[in-house]
Amino acid sequence: MNIRRRSAFALLAAASMALVGACAPGNAGAPAGAPSAGASSAAPAAAPYKPAVITLGTAEDSKGPAIAPEGVVKGGTVTMIDRDDYAHLDPAQVYVNTDANMGLLLNRGLTGYKRIAKGEYKLVGDLATDAGTPSDGGKTWTFTLKDGVKWQDGAPITSADVKWTIERMFAPFVTFGPSYIQQWLTEEDYKKAYKGPYDGKELDNIETPDDKTIVFKFKTPHADANYAFAMAGYSIVPKAKDTKEKYDQGPVSSGPYIIKSHVVDKSYELVRNPNWDPNTDPIRGAYPDVWKLEFGQEALQITDRLVADSGPDQTAFTFYAAVPPERLQQVLDDPNLADRRMISPSPYGNYYYFNLDRVKDQKVRQAVNFAWPSKQIQQTLGGPNAAALPTTILNENTTVGYEPYDLFEKTTKPEGDIEKAKQLLAESGNPNPTIVYAYNQTPVQEQVTVVIKNALEKAGIKVVAKPLDRKTYYDSISQTKNEFDLYWGGWGADWPSGSTVMPIIFGPVSDGGQNMSHLNTPELSAKMKEISENPDIDAANKAWMALDKEVQEKYTPLVVAENRIATTLHGSKVGGAEIDPQQWVVSPNTIFVKK
Amino acid sequence: MLRFLIRRTLAAAVILMIISAVTFLLFYAIPADPARLACGKVCPPETLAQARHNLGIDKPLMVQFVSWVVAIFVGRDYEGLGHCPAPCLGYSFVNRQPVFDTIIDRLPATLALTVGAAVIFLLFGVATGVIAALRQGKALDKIASVSSLIGASVQIYFVGTLLMYFFVYQLHVFAQPKYIPITEDPVGWFSGLLLPWIVLAIIFTANYTRMTRSTMVETLSEDYVRTARAKGMSGASVVLRFALRGTLTPIVTIFGVDLGTLIGGAIITETTFGLQGLGRLSLNAVNNSDLPLLMAVVLVAAAAIVVMNVVVDALYAVIDPRVRLS
Repeated sequence: MNIRRRSAFALLAAASMALVGACAPGNAGAPAGAPSAGASSAAPAAAPYKPAVITLGTAEDSKGPAIAPEGVVKGGTVTMIDRDDYAHLDPAQVYVNTDANMGLLLNRGLTGYKRIAKGEYKLVGDLATDAGTPSDGGKTWTFTLKDGVKWQDGAPITSADVKWTIERMFAPFVTFGPSYIQQWLTEEDYKKAYKGPYDGKELDNIETPDDKTIVFKFKTPHADANYAFAMAGYSIVPKAKDTKEKYDQGPVSSGPYIIKSHVVDKSYELVRNPNWDPNTDPIRGAYPDVWKLEFGQEALQITDRLVADSGPDQTAFTFYAAVPPERLQQVLDDPNLADRRMISPSPYGNYYYFNLDRVKDQKVRQAVNFAWPSKQIQQTLGGPNAAALPTTILNENTTVGYEPYDLFEKTTKPEGDIEKAKQLLAESGNPNPTIVYAYNQTPVQEQVTVVIKNALEKAGIKVVAKPLDRKTYYDSISQTKNEFDLYWGGWGADWPSGSTVMPIIFGPVSDGGQNMSHLNTPELSAKMKEISENPDIDAANKAWMALDKEVQEKYTPLVVAENRIATTLHGSKVGGAEIDPQQWVVSPNTIFVKK
Repeated sequence: MLRFLIRRTLAAAVILMIISAVTFLLFYAIPADPARLACGKVCPPETLAQARHNLGIDKPLMVQFVSWVVAIFVGRDYEGLGHCPAPCLGYSFVNRQPVFDTIIDRLPATLALTVGAAVIFLLFGVATGVIAALRQGKALDKIASVSSLIGASVQIYFVGTLLMYFFVYQLHVFAQPKYIPITEDPVGWFSGLLLPWIVLAIIFTANYTRMTRSTMVETLSEDYVRTARAKGMSGASVVLRFALRGTLTPIVTIFGVDLGTLIGGAIITETTFGLQGLGRLSLNAVNNSDLPLLMAVVLVAAAAIVVMNVVVDALYAVIDPRVRLS
């Protein structure tokens, strides 16, 4: 998922964690079976952080109800305060993490992530009885719907609804949601291959032998398809109640709540869906009776309200408003806030991309990496409490099979190794190259740019800083013929696998595309295709991690950027609040109101 | 008087037409594409073309403008999204609703904020200005001058944030600022807006104090005021019946402009206090590149200023009969 446009402003303002990742759901967690946190490649933040662990659940795990957090109380009204309303309610149009998080209250999909304990999750069947059964080497996936799953009007959820949901995602009006499943079903430009079900045409490779069974027949193997189905964009829409474009204004609930009222950009009130059965749902606790969502508050106001913790704000929390820099130290230092603080590093990949069409000498790219002032940038962003220093392309939180490595000695020399950089530049034959660095013109990035300029110039690299307007920043750097050598960009995994990162950021080179380094060799493409089609998911995950290191060793297309750490608060009468390490927002699934 | 008002109203209508044309040209002629915003990230050319068609922006600019104006009076259909009833100022693809509905939803918060603050800063500003003028050179005058200078120098986001931090979150003197319709909860309405009113008043009072003081000092030295005093009128009568009336003309002028500007959107105030009014709406529209909404907000803001100018003109005529003759 793309951490672009909507997100970039907040990212660079460092005020909101959610908008940092205009990020798809399901970009899950981390090293299943990976080395311990102690082996993490990120320079340690103030509090040790243990990456999430995700494993595949069984049919037994897929049974409801959800595992209740300690001390849970049912009932009451909880208030959620944030800055912005949700862009989309139609699941087919949902891709960003904030929208996906809201979707958990209203919508259900075939699969989803069940919280087992803090930082421990399992992929389980949500509407399905389990996380799906692959066959034909991963080309065919079969799901069976649970008994007793219903829409808000009491009608049963059927396999026809599931088929309709996927087919409608081909319709021309669906343009914001994920596209993995559609692409896999057609293996060509899916928008041209099929126009959706509204003219009566169906996809014959989605089969519904009975009301409970749904079979997907992909053209090529996709061993992680069950992870893709966990994306909020693939939540189910009722065939009988589909209103096409208008569905975005009022979805039919299959989840624990229904929308009682919604004033755009101001508020929601959600009340219980009487036809949701907790015994069918292993994911959502749905403990409060009523949810009140308020919008229009800035991160500073939200933080001050939650710190004050007075009156109705005691039962309030925020999905994504991180404590802003001006309050961060106060919040971290206040012992009274210790049990109301939540801290989590970003699950996204952040990179300073080299433009390989311009910076052609790998020695220069390596020299920049060695000279990179990671520690100084970290300090500029607020210190170890505000940013960690990863060393790998894939994020440890969103990569099953994560293996740390540190090619450029960031762990031991986070301030940069100027001598090593000079040595590499001397070997390159150009000891004083010029790097045109484009940056998003925000106050924070202005400061970061000065830090980068100073460090690289110590190594003998002349830095020409080019400020870009934040509205057009991504449009400028994603032009293939841009006139910059180095620029920041981000990408987040859509589920915990390199398969949703590497083939994107090193995929096709096009204007407006995601391959911002322009690294695109036949050898690399063939290798990524081979891994993507590997029916053994564990082997594939291992191969992605190995490719991560190989890309940096062989091509060095980027400098791995700092990773923001979000701190957020909740009111004293809110229980079960924790940041979902995959979505980087506070999950609604475990929230309850204390008596 | 009636003829005067008709003349001013017609002039205002012409100005509004010109503003709407200029605004339309500015927003739709610039190289931005509202269709791309509506179209999303997976937007093949044919879908983009359809979005342009649905928005009507595939037509010549003049046709678009005429359609837009006609829609204000008779409404308009948006393919796949339904009918936008009159007065239709456009459809927001970000909010997924006609922009007029959004504006109507936000207007009460802005009006309540503006009118409440205006009452405070007008009364307080004029009163302190009069007192300063009457105590010219004395301690009260100096205090009023220094206070107004400080008030004029500080910024809403500074004073607002500071007062909120201490008086709302630490001392709990004021309620959390919020807008509750007066019909729902009059006490909540008042307590939720009290701090924003006070902060706006701190900023705006300064102008009125200084303007009232200087004009009042000037008026008090006029012959007709001296004559009134010479005839034995009491000090209070002279000030209230003669001097103050003469002072009001410039005050009414700046009050009209301030009120119009604030109704158009107190962006910083609404953002600082988290109030969902027109100011906050316009900020969101800018951030989301929501051109139909932004254009409508700009028009409403312009209309507020034009209407307030008509009101000011009418008040001039009431205050000073010579205006009616000119």
